[in-house]
Amino acid sequence: MTVLQEPVQAAIWQALNHYAYRDAVFLAERLYAEVHSEEALFLLATCYYRSGKAYKAYRLLKGHSCTTPQCKYLLAKCCVDLSKLAEGEQILSGGVLNKQKSHDDIVMEFGDSACFTLSLLGHVYCKTDRLAKGSECYQKSLSLNPFLWSPFESLCEIGEKPDPDQTFKLTSLQNFSSCLPNTCTTVVSNHNISHRQPESVLMETPQDTIVSFAQELNRINLESSNSKYSSLNSDSSMSYIDSAVISSDSVPLGSGTAILSKQAQNKPKTGRSLLGGPAALSPLTPSFGILPLETPSPGDGSYLQNYTNSSSVIDVPSTGAPSKKTVSRISQAGTKSVFSQSGNSREVTPVLVAQTQSSGPQTSTTPQVLSPTIAAPPNALPRRSSRLFTSDSSTTKENSKKLKMKFPPKIPNRKTKSKTNKGGITQPNLNDSLEITKLDSSIISEGKISTVAPQIQAFTLQKAAAEGLMSLLRDMGKGYLALCSYNCKEAINILSHLPSHHYNTGWVLCQIGRAYFELAEYMQAERIFSEVRRIENYRVEGMEIYSTTLWHLQKDVALSVLSKDLTDMDKNSPEAWCAAGNCFSLQREHDIAIKFFQRAIQVDPNYAYAYTLLGHEFVLTEELDKALACFRNAIRVNPRHYNAWYGLGMIYYKQEKFSLAEMHFQKALDINPQSSVLLCHIGVVQHALKKSEKALDTLNKAINIDPKNPLCKFHRASVLFANEKYKSALQELEELKQIVPKESLVYFLIGKVYKKLGQTHLALMNFSWAMDLDPKGANNQIKEAIDKRYLPDDEEPITREEQISECYPYESVGTDESQESSMTDADDTQLHAVESDEF
Amino acid sequence: MTTPNKTPPGADPKQLERTGTVREIGSQAVWSLSSCKPGFGVDQLRDDNLETYWQSDGSQPHLVNIQFRRKTTVKTLCIYADYKSDESYTPSKISVRVGNNFHNLQEIRQLELVEPSGWIHVPLTDTHKKPIRTFMIQIAVLANHQNGRDTHMRQIKVYTPVEESSIGKFPRCTTVDFMMYRSIR
Repeated sequence: MTVLQEPVQAAIWQALNHYAYRDAVFLAERLYAEVHSEEALFLLATCYYRSGKAYKAYRLLKGHSCTTPQCKYLLAKCCVDLSKLAEGEQILSGGVLNKQKSHDDIVMEFGDSACFTLSLLGHVYCKTDRLAKGSECYQKSLSLNPFLWSPFESLCEIGEKPDPDQTFKLTSLQNFSSCLPNTCTTVVSNHNISHRQPESVLMETPQDTIVSFAQELNRINLESSNSKYSSLNSDSSMSYIDSAVISSDSVPLGSGTAILSKQAQNKPKTGRSLLGGPAALSPLTPSFGILPLETPSPGDGSYLQNYTNSSSVIDVPSTGAPSKKTVSRISQAGTKSVFSQSGNSREVTPVLVAQTQSSGPQTSTTPQVLSPTIAAPPNALPRRSSRLFTSDSSTTKENSKKLKMKFPPKIPNRKTKSKTNKGGITQPNLNDSLEITKLDSSIISEGKISTVAPQIQAFTLQKAAAEGLMSLLRDMGKGYLALCSYNCKEAINILSHLPSHHYNTGWVLCQIGRAYFELAEYMQAERIFSEVRRIENYRVEGMEIYSTTLWHLQKDVALSVLSKDLTDMDKNSPEAWCAAGNCFSLQREHDIAIKFFQRAIQVDPNYAYAYTLLGHEFVLTEELDKALACFRNAIRVNPRHYNAWYGLGMIYYKQEKFSLAEMHFQKALDINPQSSVLLCHIGVVQHALKKSEKALDTLNKAINIDPKNPLCKFHRASVLFANEKYKSALQELEELKQIVPKESLVYFLIGKVYKKLGQTHLALMNFSWAMDLDPKGANNQIKEAIDKRYLPDDEEPITREEQISECYPYESVGTDESQESSMTDADDTQLHAVESDEF
Repeated sequence: MTTPNKTPPGADPKQLERTGTVREIGSQAVWSLSSCKPGFGVDQLRDDNLETYWQSDGSQPHLVNIQFRRKTTVKTLCIYADYKSDESYTPSKISVRVGNNFHNLQEIRQLELVEPSGWIHVPLTDTHKKPIRTFMIQIAVLANHQNGRDTHMRQIKVYTPVEESSIGKFPRCTTVDFMMYRSIR
């Protein structure tokens, strides 16, 4: 790479970091036209991909040879996005037909990005029905980089049971460092003009430099106050671009950071932040030199700095421009304890604090990324009550990859939002904020080299921070795993024990809500989900479960509000359309509901729940063939979607193919063994198959699992009734009457029992109660039951019924035989029904 | 003699749908007409819009044929007729016939309308007071008000009872508590 390209590349990255995709694309195209190198190709493709045009990146990369790992990775990613799974696989691992690369080969080839590559490959395998290979890839990916959550999630979803304790741990330093991008350490330090505390620390690990990216945005902010960085040519700082940085063409496999050694000369003039922050995690980004920045405007305190291997720190004097995005949340002070794992230690390492303290109250320049502070959990679990000490001044922020992954640094705005006391040591912070280790800052002047001790200390801090994060991930992983295996009670338990500031986030609450939903505790679930809506109203994942909960509870107003809100917010999300479909389904407008569910499928053909819901709608409109197809599609997309298995069972039940129904229900039960509703259904089917003993057993099991399920008791009573065990049936029903006093079915069944027992008076009483409770239902069955009772015995069934309605002061509706529904009464009496004698 | 009472309008069938006891199944049937004026045909009869209507264009009786793919239980027929807007086009005598095919129809219901002004609900029951099961329904307009030749019909809906059993052969449950546990969705 020649110096020619450096500024252009720097400019492009800067544009990318500012999401100015048009600028980035334009420049990248010019660069590529100028220099047909793979790096420029990759850069252009990255610009396309990030601006949302995966197809452009795909075609571009396909049209040219890609040999570098990052090009290949990007191309594979585009393929997967465009659903060209075979091609993606081919690129990553040599394809189905050719000799495939082993995981080790992939690790060697891709180096740092191996974990992502493997994760992508795992995704491809899972989507193409090779679950074993997929799970292998995921496992390997996790072992390479325990900070990745999505392989873990995918493993849980395909039914594997990865062990969170094993997965989320930092096995070795090697891993630790390899998780982070091998780029130069950039440290952003906040400075006041007054305080020249350029904390810049270079973390040197024994093996490797731990590189982290500082928030370039800090720098960007700096610059923006003055000059637009876009004016690349505007000043001499161009020369600051370190050509050394640009060198890396190869994958910096554990290579030292491409450090700008030349940066030692600190020319604190205009600086520009060129380094991409989270965006620039590619190994190439180091090539974008981080120019020393000078913040002309006061208050801006953060800078990205390059550090050479020699850990010379270049201090860019902060002009006090408010540094907005201070990523670092960890103040030096007492950071040690922040990362202290088991959270017992609350000791503070005062060492580092001092420095930060001294940086004074330039709060505006110390945007702290405020890590969520953990309040000590009430049950005093030994918790990583890492204390995060953020100090105002010097927050050297290191962005590590893990930071980006897990907790996008909270970017405080100009005002310092340090939640922690300024220099306060006492606040326990969440270790997650670890990412930004406040590195020990040594006062830096041009070319000064930070001492080793702080570096190592900083490194330990970093490690401790990561450990804290791991600890959190372990807990969350356990909870999620329990949920995916449908151990819902345990999942709720585990997740409730998370620290409260994590508990009160959308993701966690959604999982808990889903757990309640699977337990059929819809009231609880609704409560939790409405809390989610309150705190994160932009969240759509998980809202489909909320909409189904509301459907079960028949809360049509809430459901329609939800669906309107979601569809307004995001028309491209299947969850929103599922909610809309549920809303109309509740209003019994099945055609419209079908339309919306089909739209959900269009929006995302890999979303299993949409198929399931569509299947249910087809069942309601009696189009059983289409329903069967829908449920099968759902299973194709996600074989562990037990709702779809249930749906198939229901259809077979309707078609009276009871053994098939039982089989499908059983499959659903295998996936979700704690569902009392499923057990109840199986019981009824078994009864239909004449296996009444088994039916009773199953129903007993169901009642044991969930004593609150009234239908289980009801069906048990009906099975007992069918087996002529009237007394026990009655007993069951009496209990049920206490639980659900307004349910007409209960009285109906009681009436039937009494009829069988010969107690006609009681039977009639119950039948009439049943009819009263169900006036609009026009329950022919109930009327039949009454009529049948009387036709052989009584000559005047009608008068008898009328008598009853006189005796019992209920509002009976319509005892007139000819009436079908209360609404047609008036009409009917007017219409002259004439018997035609054409027969 | 007192003038015969006018046919009072019935409730909006949408209400009927909302009870969940019936379902509109006109979409599952093939509709045909004995005659129609261009632009005033089946689509206008089935478009859920009371402003548009079917206008016949032949000799009486005017027929609306509804043919199902399979034998369907039909509970109620709902016809919208409005004397004020249609005057002499308003049907006054309607015969409902059911059967397997065109050659097999039997009249089960005949109704007289006197200046109707809304929805007319026509329950269709067999001799045992249960909803009929049939392949085909034919609605014949035998006469119009003021002896008009052609007829307007604004909307026709066909309802089938919703079979309740999600599970078991029991009638529908009424409380939310039961319904919550009735199915997995």
